[in-house]
Amino acid sequence: MSLLAIRDVSKRFGGVNALAGVTFEVEQGDILGIIGPNGAGKTTLLNCISGLYRPDAGDIRWETTSIRGLAPYRIARLGIGRTFQIVRPFPSMTVRENTAMGALFGRPGARLQPGAALNEADMVLDVVGLGEKRHYPVLRLTVPDRKRLEVARALAMRPRLLLLDEVMAGLNQVEIEQALEMVRRVRDSGVTIVLIEHVMKVIVGVCRRALVLNFGRTLVEGPPAEVLKDRRVIEAYLGQRYARDQEK
Amino acid sequence: MSQFTQQVILGLLLGGVYVAVALGFSLVWGILNIVNLAHGALVIIGAYITWVLFTRLHIDPFLSLPVDALALFVIGYALQRGVINRVIRAPLLFTFLLTFGINLVIVSLLLLIFTGDFRSVTPAYSGSGLHLGSIVIPYIRLGGLAAALLLAGILWVVLNRTRSGTAILAVGADRDAAQLVGVDLRHMYALTFAIGAAFAGVAGGIISTFQSITPTAGDPYTLQAFVVVILGGLGRVSATVAGGLAFGLIEVLGQSAPGLSSSYANAIAFVVLVVVLVVRPRGLLGRLA
Repeated sequence: MSLLAIRDVSKRFGGVNALAGVTFEVEQGDILGIIGPNGAGKTTLLNCISGLYRPDAGDIRWETTSIRGLAPYRIARLGIGRTFQIVRPFPSMTVRENTAMGALFGRPGARLQPGAALNEADMVLDVVGLGEKRHYPVLRLTVPDRKRLEVARALAMRPRLLLLDEVMAGLNQVEIEQALEMVRRVRDSGVTIVLIEHVMKVIVGVCRRALVLNFGRTLVEGPPAEVLKDRRVIEAYLGQRYARDQEK
Repeated sequence: MSQFTQQVILGLLLGGVYVAVALGFSLVWGILNIVNLAHGALVIIGAYITWVLFTRLHIDPFLSLPVDALALFVIGYALQRGVINRVIRAPLLFTFLLTFGINLVIVSLLLLIFTGDFRSVTPAYSGSGLHLGSIVIPYIRLGGLAAALLLAGILWVVLNRTRSGTAILAVGADRDAAQLVGVDLRHMYALTFAIGAAFAGVAGGIISTFQSITPTAGDPYTLQAFVVVILGGLGRVSATVAGGLAFGLIEVLGQSAPGLSSSYANAIAFVVLVVVLVVRPRGLLGRLA
């Protein structure tokens, strides 16, 4: 039995099919990379999984139960954490307080007291490499650090599955290396990861499998190195003519 | 000089009432982004509850304040969950229209139940006051100010020292991010509105001690709460307290200024509103937008 199973999920916005029947599974311990051109439906897919959108059709199963249409906070408490493509910290709080929010409200079982939540925050801040900046007001953080904070806040919920929406976008080469290191540490701590990424180096660097979305459908799925060489993928990104020229 | 001191004291005492009225209004506006046009009607429900308890059961108006709070909390929770929640993500105009309608419904119901007669709550001490030399401080006004400051303290503690308060502030900052860290959004919306309504109820109880009440007596208070929030600034308890006290002072001192009278109360309020919006749009203590 897989940890997360997406079955034929569709989502329409007006006349646009953002998702047109996507199917895939995520096994415990996996790192799945989702790539695709702009507008392929990647973020819509994460929004459906985390409950911000309700799919129009299809089913989303978490282990044995369907989570389709559940309220976002219930899905979060089941153990599915996520980050946003555009970082969304709580602006009036410090780094540590922001992180503690995940521990305070996102835990499935016992209600943590604020003190315990802050301790938990300290632990995950070390994992993402923000330990020294824990008392900063969030607005003082640089963009890469804000992305780390997003990850920390999700990790504080002790998720079993982490959905990362372009945590590497806008980072330079050195910062990408550091972020990759962070993702590996998170994986090694036993968290299953689904990540959306434009930076191919990231997909090849950490993912065990890659899934290419195009026009709301699954185009190709498989090991990253093979997927990136697939003619259909090159077509989707660079056009048919480029793909044809490559083969000559 | 003592004339001036007396006016300042009366201004602060009146300001206390405005603090009580504006606390709940400010909370609902700041967190839910709803300018609640039914706020004054909720205030008057509280005033009628105090009046009923006073005339039927001879309960002191200040002792009935917790009853007002509890009753309005329940009404507020139900109102948000059942009605207002349906337009929570709609543009501001929809919530305006809806709360305006709720205001009309509440006022009409109050007219049916209590008729349009003037009702007043007159405890034995209502005419007396504290005499300090030539200065007089009416007891009921002093009690009102004390109750208002206590309310502000309670709200601050709830928002800053409790789990639910933290969740409410998180919802106010970013509702999507809040629900994705596990905050139950709909419950927090309803809870926020319920607290706002409960505070309105207490304000109504305070108001009933010095003013005769009718079903429509709440309407001016919606306007005044609005001005207080603009004046003090949105997003902080201390800003509402500062705004309320300042507005009370401005109103009393303005009315006693040469050439002006109490009939200028609304005019003074609007002048304050415009001046603050032009000179300092974030209010006295408001957060930077």
